[in-house]
Amino acid sequence: MTDVILEKVGKTYPNGYHAIPSVDLSIEEGEFIVLVGPSGCGKSTLLRMVAGLESISTGELRIRGERMNDKEPAERDIAMVFQNYALYPHMTVYDNMAYGLKNRGMPKAQIAEKVSDVATMLGLTELLQRKPRQLSGGQRQRVAMGRAMVRDPKVFLFDEPLSNLDAKLRVQMRVEIRQLQRKLGTTTLYVTHDQVEAMTLADRLVVLNKGKAEQIGTPMDLYNKPATPFVAAFIGSPSMNLINANLTEQGVKISEALTLPLSHAFRGGIVWGIRPEHLEVSDEQNADFALRIQAVESLGAETLIHGKLETESGHGEPLVVRLSGPHLPDINSLMWLRAPVSHWHLFDANTQQRL
Amino acid sequence: MIENRPWLTFASHATLLIGIALVALPVWMALVASTHPASAFGVGHIPLWFGDAGAETWGTVLFEKAGNGVDTPVWFMMLNSLIMALGITFGKIAISLLSAYAIVFFRFPFRNLCFWIIFMTLMLPVEVRIVPTYEVVANLDLLNSYTGLTLPLIASATATFLFRQCFLSVPGELVEAARMDGAGPWRFFFDILLPLSRTNIAALFVILFIYGWNQYLWPLLITTDDAYYTLVMSIKRMLSVTDGDIAWNQIMATTLLAMLPPVAVVIGMQKLFVKGLVDSEK
Ligand SMILES: Nc1ncnc2c1ncn2[C@@H]1O[C@H](COP(=O)(O)OP(=O)(O)O)[C@@H](O)[C@H]1O
Ligand SMILES: [Mg+2]
Repeated sequence: MTDVILEKVGKTYPNGYHAIPSVDLSIEEGEFIVLVGPSGCGKSTLLRMVAGLESISTGELRIRGERMNDKEPAERDIAMVFQNYALYPHMTVYDNMAYGLKNRGMPKAQIAEKVSDVATMLGLTELLQRKPRQLSGGQRQRVAMGRAMVRDPKVFLFDEPLSNLDAKLRVQMRVEIRQLQRKLGTTTLYVTHDQVEAMTLADRLVVLNKGKAEQIGTPMDLYNKPATPFVAAFIGSPSMNLINANLTEQGVKISEALTLPLSHAFRGGIVWGIRPEHLEVSDEQNADFALRIQAVESLGAETLIHGKLETESGHGEPLVVRLSGPHLPDINSLMWLRAPVSHWHLFDANTQQRL
Repeated sequence: MIENRPWLTFASHATLLIGIALVALPVWMALVASTHPASAFGVGHIPLWFGDAGAETWGTVLFEKAGNGVDTPVWFMMLNSLIMALGITFGKIAISLLSAYAIVFFRFPFRNLCFWIIFMTLMLPVEVRIVPTYEVVANLDLLNSYTGLTLPLIASATATFLFRQCFLSVPGELVEAARMDGAGPWRFFFDILLPLSRTNIAALFVILFIYGWNQYLWPLLITTDDAYYTLVMSIKRMLSVTDGDIAWNQIMATTLLAMLPPVAVVIGMQKLFVKGLVDSEK
C-alpha cells in the first residue's frame, strides 16, 4: 500500500527563494527512503514540509490517502528526530518521551506502559529519571528516537540525526536505526548529506540537487546506473572519475591523442565516467591509457592512487584509481590502466542525461 | 581565577573585610542606636554599644506606632509595602513574559515596531511621567488604593527585553519538537518556556522586588490615607517632624525593619539569582 505521496510538491520561501521547484515521490508502507544531497540542496525543506513545519507552496502531500497540506504537525501522525535532538532540557528522559502522549490525553497508566516498552527496546530503562544534560551524545540520540517511537506514528522523519555523533558511534547508531525500523516496519523518511549513510540505510534513495530530485532508486540502481553526472559523482566513495569528451565514429575521444574505441549512435559532447574501483592495472600492450601518479593514499585494505592522464601536452585530466590491498608505486611514475567498457558511464554533456 | 600566592589571598581578604566593615558599620550603629532612649543623641557622642531601651523602642515601633508623627505601627506599613512590592514584581513579570512571548514567537504585523515602542518606554520611568500618570490614576479614582500603588509601575521594558533575549536563545528545534508533540501556544508557554526561564524569572524577581519595595515618590504622591502608607516613604515622613525633636531610636528601628525583606529575598534566592545571571540550561 502506498503510504506517503508527494505530488508536485514545491516550496518558495517568503523571501522569494525558490528552494524546491517540484518533487514527485510515492513511498510504500514500511519503506526506508533516504533524501540525500549536498548541503543547501533542500533536503530539510522537503522533510519539514512533510512534517508540517514549513507550509507547502505548491502541490499536494497525502499520507494514507488523506490530504495533509493544511494539517498541523501534531495532526499528521508523524514523529520527527531532529539533528540536535531537541530534547526538553528541564524534563527527565521519561517526561521527554511521555510529553507528546500526555498532550494527546492518553491515560497515565498507558503512557507509563508505552514509555517503558520503548525504553526497554532502546536500553534506556536505567536512564529514565535523568535529565538530558546528564546523558552522553549517543544516549540523547537514543532518547530522541524513543520520543519518536512511543507515539507509534505512521511515518518517522529524521533530519541528519547522526551528524553530531563521533564516527564510531555513527556507524553503530546507523545499524541500530535500520534494525529498529525493520522491526517496527514504520515508513521512514531520512535526510542525510552523507552518501555512505544513505547507501547503507535506504531501501530507496532520492538524490536532490538544487531542490530537484535527480534520481530516485535503490542504492544499487544508483550505483550501477546513475542517471546524471551529478548522481554519478555523488554516489560512491571516492567519486566516479568524470571526464568531458566527445563521442565520434572512432569512439570516446578524450584528448587529441587518446580515443577509446566504442561504437555508439550518439555524436557530440559527452561526459565519460568510470569508477575508481573499476579501473584495472595492466601492462603497456593491453592498456587503454597511462596515469602519471601524483599521490598515493594507503588505507591498508585498499589503496587510492591519484594522478593525471598522461598526455603529450602534460595537461591531463585528474583520475583516481582504487586498488585493493597495499600498493606502493613511486610518485611521478607511470601506471598503465585498463578501463573495461562494461563499466563505462556515458552522459550527454548538454542534457546531462545518461546515454 | 586560580592563583596561589599567599599575599594575594591576604590582600583580597583584607579588602573584603574592609568592604564588609564599611557596609556593616552603619547598620550596626543603627541597631545600637535603636536600643538607646531618644535623648541619648542630643549629648554629642554616638553610642557604640547596646543601651537598655531596646525592648521598649522595638515594641512600640513594631506594634503601636512608628512615632515621629506616623501613627501606624511598622508591621502594618510593612504589609502595605509588601503588597505593593509583590504586586509590582508579579505584575511586571507576568506582563513582560507575555509581551516577550508574543514578540518572539508570534508573527503579526508591526511586530518589531511593537517591540521598539515597548523598548522606548525605558526612557519614561515614573518620575518623568509622574504628573500625567497621577492625573490618570486620579481620574480613575485609584488614589489611596493598592491598584493605584502598583498598576502604573507594572509596565516594564527592561524585563520584556530580558525575557525577549532569553526566549530568543531557545533553539528553534525545541519549539518545533513541542509543536510535533502537540503542544499548543499555552502548553508550550507553561510546559516548556516557563521552566526554561525559571532562573531568569528568579533573578528578575529579586531585582524587581527591591525596586518595588524601595518605591518612594509614587506612594508619597498618591496615598493620603494612613491605611495605604508604605514603610519607605514613612521613614522620610518621620524625619520631618516640626518640633525638631526627632526620635532617632524609633527611626533607626524602622529603618532596620525596612531593610529586612529585601535582604531576606536576596539571601533566599541567592542561588537562583546568580544562576539566572550567569548561565542558562538551554
Ligand atoms: N526560512 C528560509 N527562508 C529562505 N530561504 C531558506 C529558508 N530556509 C532554508 N532556505 C534556503 O533553502 C535552501 C535549502 O535549505 P535546506 O532545505 O535547509 O538545505 P539542506 O539540504 O542543507 O537541508 C538553502 O539554500 C537555504 O538557504
Ligand atoms: Mg538540513
